Amino acid sequence: MSTKDTHIPDWLKVPFAGITPAPTQEKGQDLFPTGNWRSIRPVYRDKLPPCNNACGTNEKIQGYLDLVKRGKYLDAYALIKEDMPFPSVTGRVCYHPCETACNRGKYDEAISIRAVERFLGDLGQALKKDVVKAGKPNGKKVAVVGSGPAGHSAAYQLARLGYAVTILEKSPKAGGLNRGGIPDWVLPQDVLDREIERLVELGITVKTGVEVGKDVSWDDLKKDYDAVVLAVGLTEPNSVRAEGEDKKGVHYGLPFLRDIGMGTSKVKLGARVAVIGGGNTAIDCAREALRQGAVEVTMITVEGNTQEMPASPEDLHDMVEEGVELMHGRAVTAVLGNGSVEALQLHPARFSGAINASPINVDREAAAERFPVDHVIIAVGQHASLAWLPQEFKNERGTIKIDRFGRLGNTNFFAAGDIVQLGSGQPLMVVNAVGDGKRVAFNLDKVIRGESLEPRTIPIDVIFDLNRMNMTYFPHFPRVQQEMLPPTSRRKTQQEVIQAFTEEQAVEEAGRCFSCGTCNACDNCYLVCPEPCIARPERSNGMYKILVDYCKGCRVCIEECPTGCLEGVPELDFDTGVVRMDTAFAISPGLHGRQAEELRNLASRPAKNI
Amino acid sequence: MATIEVQRQVLPILGNPNQGARFYNPELPSSEPFVPGHRTCAGCGPSIQYRMTSKAAGDNTILVGPTGCMYVANSSYLCTPYNVPWAHTQIGSAGSFTAGVAAAYEAMIRKGKWKGQFPNIICEAGDGSASDIGLASISGALYRNHDCLIICYDNEQYANTGIQASSRTPYGGMTTFSPPGPLVPEGKKLYPKDLARMMAAGHPHCYVATASVGYPIDLMNKVRKGLNHKGAAYLMVYTPCQKGFVYETPRSIDLGRLVVESGLYPMWEWNPEQRAYDYSFRPASMRPVSEYLKLQGRFGHLHAEHIANLQKFANEQWRMMGVQLPEALLEAADAKNLVNMAAAEEAATVAETV
Repeated sequence: MSTKDTHIPDWLKVPFAGITPAPTQEKGQDLFPTGNWRSIRPVYRDKLPPCNNACGTNEKIQGYLDLVKRGKYLDAYALIKEDMPFPSVTGRVCYHPCETACNRGKYDEAISIRAVERFLGDLGQALKKDVVKAGKPNGKKVAVVGSGPAGHSAAYQLARLGYAVTILEKSPKAGGLNRGGIPDWVLPQDVLDREIERLVELGITVKTGVEVGKDVSWDDLKKDYDAVVLAVGLTEPNSVRAEGEDKKGVHYGLPFLRDIGMGTSKVKLGARVAVIGGGNTAIDCAREALRQGAVEVTMITVEGNTQEMPASPEDLHDMVEEGVELMHGRAVTAVLGNGSVEALQLHPARFSGAINASPINVDREAAAERFPVDHVIIAVGQHASLAWLPQEFKNERGTIKIDRFGRLGNTNFFAAGDIVQLGSGQPLMVVNAVGDGKRVAFNLDKVIRGESLEPRTIPIDVIFDLNRMNMTYFPHFPRVQQEMLPPTSRRKTQQEVIQAFTEEQAVEEAGRCFSCGTCNACDNCYLVCPEPCIARPERSNGMYKILVDYCKGCRVCIEECPTGCLEGVPELDFDTGVVRMDTAFAISPGLHGRQAEELRNLASRPAKNI
Repeated sequence: MATIEVQRQVLPILGNPNQGARFYNPELPSSEPFVPGHRTCAGCGPSIQYRMTSKAAGDNTILVGPTGCMYVANSSYLCTPYNVPWAHTQIGSAGSFTAGVAAAYEAMIRKGKWKGQFPNIICEAGDGSASDIGLASISGALYRNHDCLIICYDNEQYANTGIQASSRTPYGGMTTFSPPGPLVPEGKKLYPKDLARMMAAGHPHCYVATASVGYPIDLMNKVRKGLNHKGAAYLMVYTPCQKGFVYETPRSIDLGRLVVESGLYPMWEWNPEQRAYDYSFRPASMRPVSEYLKLQGRFGHLHAEHIANLQKFANEQWRMMGVQLPEALLEAADAKNLVNMAAAEEAATVAETV
């Protein structure tokens, strides 16, 4: 076909050598913006990894594992400190819901996240000066009642926001349940002491020996402070309501552990000890009893087997390894003895409902069992002591009545931790209390600043399905195991049972992370693009850019993204950056038009310059 | 006249810390001699190969493009996506043109007419040029040992003319020249020409290797080894063709891995110093060929016996690599244990439209 006699504007005539712009490394060829072939556009959209989602305080776990993998330990520590005031503590005691949720668990073995957290926590403890700074003072005073996990977390976050925080603690030493509920061979006291020091370094005043209701009243708190966080915890042990429970030799779980933790214990255990209860505290009591000189320790639970026990399976395993006997399906109906305990009377029993908090059915028709013991430790949960609290803020569960933001009515009082979580369905664990403290601190800040409290409505996309990632890129690697003291030698000492990771172990373990749904700068998309239209000025997480002028939408990058961070979105969903048909015969001055500009001016240029 | 010694480039070999698990490599060069804005199909395998090859070679490179996809689709409308000197040559003269460029640079440097290092001279020939039409000229360039790297990007057919069979098209591969029908149900009866081995056996002084786009760091290292080798080098790279193989575009890299894992494309190097094959490359896993075949429409017409034939072919390749064959692969070579390709009917319609 000839174009003779056809009118074609000058600027639409075929370009020729010398005019055709040369391609550049940065931009490619101007002339062929092949992006208009595309119907699906690759988009980097970070999702929430399941570990971050499962964590009680939503630590950015994938983030710090990635930093550890690259040897940026200090950055990793700073990242963990955003949500967690004491990684050295949770790195030892946490029941790690993150590891349960870890996608790697469906593939080979879950990442040992807690061990890496402990590695970072210990690193932070060794620092002369903490990386976290107190916020610019805003002149507001806040009291935090209780220095357990929730109080510690709330005070820490409030200090970072610039509040003058005072912690009121009734015990002689701060630490709350972290000190009183966790034995030394899990969490050494000096680790906790160092974390409390960090709070003081942030400018927080810690007043010990101050009990609310006795030394300060509700009205004092209201008068002296702009806002108050109540994180008083559950202090009173539950009883089993057995006959003769007041006899000498009967101890209660938390006070037993607390006195040992505070160094005020006068208990001398006999050879045979029975522990009543099947939870984590009961396990700690049983293991502590061995270390306090007991020879035979038996755990008596109402639960019919170990699966039903509301305890961490690992701790249970370690306890059995240390030689604690288990006795299931029994309830204590009487404590026998003349003045002090000599034996227990047991009857077969089971829970009447599906959950462990339901009333117990005791089969009193069956023959009673006599179980000879020297001491009994009862660890069947705790309840709150709230005599000082105005009646209007108490609820039927015996805890503090709050709204969904942790606020008590319209007051500037907030409550966090076990005192509000008991019976709410939340597990009563350290990390949940820390998360509660953190959220309440942020809500308190909003109230003080006069902002309205609104629930978060942004939907979150959590990756649970391994098919959303490319598993070809993950060779199977076994989990790096933490070393432990052998059961025979550890059952008599207060030394830490579980040993810390070395640097190499931590890096190796962090390297196993899938980085579910989050870009970790693996460069795959950059390297497999056929155009190549994925630009990367420097290698950094999430710093990849797709040149939409050229992307043909082949989706190779989406398929080869190991983490599932890249996804395809239909092109019609976009109204920006869209390349319409503006190649050869476009009328509008698009990319082709830019070149046509030169052609149009050709006539005015002397021939020798063309 | 005093002669000047030719200064040659030495490219460092890239480390592979993750054993191919991830591609990230801190030593990757940042330059991009191959830029976007070309008209290859979406997900084009040869294009992926071209980019990786030129990235590994760097900016002091001269590319030679005999007729083929990477000439026709890339250099249109008087512009090309190459940021380095590039020249087209006829499909039959790939080797002679490349040899001429190499010889000219040697002479110019010797006579002081070109200052600087000897460039990396790379010829990017398709399998049509390398295995059929230009075979003689490439063999000549290798035989005379000009300092150049000749790459055959092997998409197993003549793709830019509309999918015709080449001598590299595998057994059973459907093309417009090898349509399946009642008389020849497998489509293509002949097995592919073992081109790389032919080059290694015929020109033992050359560095010869096979590679695949599924293993980018390995591919880049082989390019660098070939360029560092003083003398001619030959590299054959598996590059899936979305139009000809009839697969979904996202699977390009996946196919590059699967073809190696199924044993249809053994990866090896010919060591010219020791005059020996290096069969040490091992993919992460071994798979039956059907896992590779089922992704592609061009194999959709195969019957169980044809798949068994291909499995026998793959098993021979594994044996040649010195790999102990697992029982599953031996069983898969028996047609009794296999079923016909499920997509046979769809494949027939594709055959009509191609």
